[in-house]
Amino acid sequence: MTRPRLVLALWLAALVACAAIVARSEISTDLSAFLPRSPSPAQQVLVDQVREGAVSRLLLLAVEGAPADALATLSRTLATRLGREPALASVHNGADTALDAERDFLWRHRYVLSPDVVPARFTASGLHDALRHDQELLTSGLAPLLKRSLPGDPTGEMLTIIDAFQGETPPHSRSGLWFSPDDSRALLMVETRAAGFDIDAQQQALARIDDAFDAARQETPGAAAARLLVTGPGVFAVHTRATTQQDAERLSLIAAVLIAGLLLAVYRSPRLLALGLSPVLCGALAGFAAVGLRFGFVHGITLGFGVTLMGESVDYAIYLFAQTAPATTPAATLARIWPTLFLGALTSVAGFSAMLFSSFTGFAQLGLFSITGLLVALAATRWLLPALLPHGFAAVEARLFARLPLMLMRHGRRLRLPVLALLLAAAALLASHRGGFWQDDLSSLSPIPTQNQQLDRALRHDIGAPDVRYLVVTTAASEEAALEASERVSDRLRAMTGDRLISGFDAPDRYLPSAAAQRARQAALPDDATLRRRLQEALAGLDFRADLFAPFLVDVAAARQAPPLQRRDVPPRLALKLGSLLLERGSRWTAVLPLRGVAQPQRVAQGIAALGDVGSVFVDLKAESDHLLRDYQREAVLLALIGSLVILVLLALGLRSPVRVLLVVAPLAASVLLTVALLTAGGGKLSIFNLVGLLLIVAVGSNYCLFFERQRHQAGEAERTVASLVLANLCTVIGFGVLSFSRIPVLHDIGLTVAAGTLLSLFLGAVLSAPGGVPVAAGVASASRRPAP
Amino acid sequence: MTSGSDAALTRRSGVAAALLLWAFPAAAQAQHFGLEQLMAELRQVKSATGRFVEHKDLHMLDKPVEASGTLIYLAPDQMQKITISPRWERLAVRQSTLTIEQEGKSRSFSLADRPEIGAFVESIRATLAGDLATLDRFYTVTLTGDAADWHLSLVPKGQKLQDLVKDIRIGGSGRSIRTVETEEADGDRSVMRIVEEDIR
Repeated sequence: MTRPRLVLALWLAALVACAAIVARSEISTDLSAFLPRSPSPAQQVLVDQVREGAVSRLLLLAVEGAPADALATLSRTLATRLGREPALASVHNGADTALDAERDFLWRHRYVLSPDVVPARFTASGLHDALRHDQELLTSGLAPLLKRSLPGDPTGEMLTIIDAFQGETPPHSRSGLWFSPDDSRALLMVETRAAGFDIDAQQQALARIDDAFDAARQETPGAAAARLLVTGPGVFAVHTRATTQQDAERLSLIAAVLIAGLLLAVYRSPRLLALGLSPVLCGALAGFAAVGLRFGFVHGITLGFGVTLMGESVDYAIYLFAQTAPATTPAATLARIWPTLFLGALTSVAGFSAMLFSSFTGFAQLGLFSITGLLVALAATRWLLPALLPHGFAAVEARLFARLPLMLMRHGRRLRLPVLALLLAAAALLASHRGGFWQDDLSSLSPIPTQNQQLDRALRHDIGAPDVRYLVVTTAASEEAALEASERVSDRLRAMTGDRLISGFDAPDRYLPSAAAQRARQAALPDDATLRRRLQEALAGLDFRADLFAPFLVDVAAARQAPPLQRRDVPPRLALKLGSLLLERGSRWTAVLPLRGVAQPQRVAQGIAALGDVGSVFVDLKAESDHLLRDYQREAVLLALIGSLVILVLLALGLRSPVRVLLVVAPLAASVLLTVALLTAGGGKLSIFNLVGLLLIVAVGSNYCLFFERQRHQAGEAERTVASLVLANLCTVIGFGVLSFSRIPVLHDIGLTVAAGTLLSLFLGAVLSAPGGVPVAAGVASASRRPAP
Repeated sequence: MTSGSDAALTRRSGVAAALLLWAFPAAAQAQHFGLEQLMAELRQVKSATGRFVEHKDLHMLDKPVEASGTLIYLAPDQMQKITISPRWERLAVRQSTLTIEQEGKSRSFSLADRPEIGAFVESIRATLAGDLATLDRFYTVTLTGDAADWHLSLVPKGQKLQDLVKDIRIGGSGRSIRTVETEEADGDRSVMRIVEEDIR
């Protein structure tokens, strides 16, 4: 076997191996891969709430566009239909029908559920106080609500339990159904069985809701024009995935067609085009396989976006093809450009390697994908392409592209001053920037369109469901311990509710008290004879009918003997609530206590800290999400700095001269400076995606500058070299420029940054790195060593 | 103000009264007094306040109870009942929400969720508002007497409401409500007398 054939055979074998790994890798679309891996406990709560919390499963539905009476009928029909959907855990439209099981449960177990069941309450004087209070209530406005339960519950345990459930004002209702305050929308609340981030299941649930609405609308007279509005985390997740897919597919296709068209126009040979793209394809396959091997799954975004990131490997073939002069061989060209090509690729790898250490699994995957992809594409260019290029390979004519940069190179020295002025202007612009450079709101990274966010706010306002911002979270080693901790926190929170520090809260122990608390409450109930005697004593001086409280005696006797309440006894709707407030993660149990109407967060936090419970923390979700964003930003800055440092070290090792390093680095730094100034002009702010884009400018732009700088040492072939750079840059600008039209912040931000930055680095490289020009700072240093050219 | 302008005012109101008589001849004559007419009269009221005294006979207690306080109505759907004796409390209804404040605690309910209290609130509020459609939806409404002394009897239509309320009798004069008597299914009775202070 000849050597090229051997190379080809080995290569094919490697490709087959990669394909085999790829075939077995799973492609995931779970967006949480782009949430951090190792957050603090408080952040873990945020992430869990976002991922699986009850909040994530809640969809708000609004029906509008018909007279209110028709909407009411439609709301009932729709609720009935949705109630039959297995994908939905619960459906509410305001009609109070399904609560009976829950009320019955609370009533039957009131003596273990009520935190007010303590021995003092069942002494003669405790009972007397309760009864006197009852007599007052009987003559008050609450009487109609209490009358029925009074004979069985004179100590008012049910009222204590119900009071704790009391939320903010209930939603406005009309004909017994929830409506927006202006009666223009009938409102429904739906809970899906699947978590908000199970996008496939959410999509199915949404489709079933749409079908149910269509059917309900046809059944309802006068509702032909009615519309359904749906909002909630599930809708956002489905919407985001759809836009991501649409944008990725549409924009990648446009970019691919444009780049292939350009290359075909230059190469004038489909075969050359195919060969030129083959390193990219091999690299993508290898990158895919590497990520599959390392992580066990490949994220959809890694796949789509990774190919874009390693897009600079298209340039490798361009350099080879466009720099091969007529009557020379590709092998000779390779030998000539290899050191530059190799160093350029290494700098890019160094840049991307920073991403490997990101706490986002998604970014780590992207890093591995692009590094593997670049290295394989480089190897393919070095060893595969020469073996595959046809004999008598016709050199590519692309001199036209070289005109402008060549002109810049010739006038480099004269252009230094304008460039310096431009940089000073950019620096001044940056210095005058006010209000911080960073987008300081997580929602700014959100791919959800403003319109949808507004609808969400409007419907939430209508139904009176404010976002939960403050929580107390407590973790423990067992379910029982978590419930006990939750009870300690609940006690403190009840006191705070009394002091009006908060207006209310929810807690898992409300639905399932710890076994210890249940035993204590049972022990607080006196035996029958004692209770009879005390009750008799307590009734003295009050106006109650003598035998009125017989049911009370029966119920207390039963409660004393009742087996302990367990999780399986809790009726479905309350069980769902309990499930969202009491979570098992690994071997740890977490109790979540959402707070309502927090007036003084500071004092609440102090009160919780004063409990001395190590596992219990007060969490401000807004502050945590802001922290999270700042952590991401700090990490992104740190990784970018490390990446830049590694690139500097690499260049120093590869070029072995501080001046040469400076010649390469100066235009890159200048491009980054100008790009930042452009992005933040007019008060604009940077996202972490912009920062990733800046790293890419350095990774890709360093190739150009290295080639320009090499012109100082290897004169000749200038025209071909420059033409190949322009062609490569055009491909990059097309690829990323098209991305900047995306509606998704990550694609838009990176696309815009890289397209602008690489174009700048091409021109600045021509002015500063190439022999015609000498960077201002380097001018002095180099002048002392050698005569100016 | 001078006496000259007083005279002018009297003259002017005389003219206005004549114009009114001409425009609404029905108002000038005694006419058969019907539900529609009573409701139309009540709809003219934009706001009203009054003192009330409530006398209750409750089957759970051996002795009757008495309460008193202030009633405030603001057309079309806001109502407050502030009890001052024997203990302060405030019942406030706005749209479909009932809020009860007592002992420094505030509790809110959706009227639709709590028919046992919603039935009473709606009957009084709908009467105050002259909202015959709402009254008709829940009660069989009969009217006796004349404009100066009318009696409205509300008997629940649905079984659910009948389980709670036996009947509600509202008596009044002109645009004012004077008494509200309720008899509940469990035998509890209450009689509320209202002395109006201000009606607009």
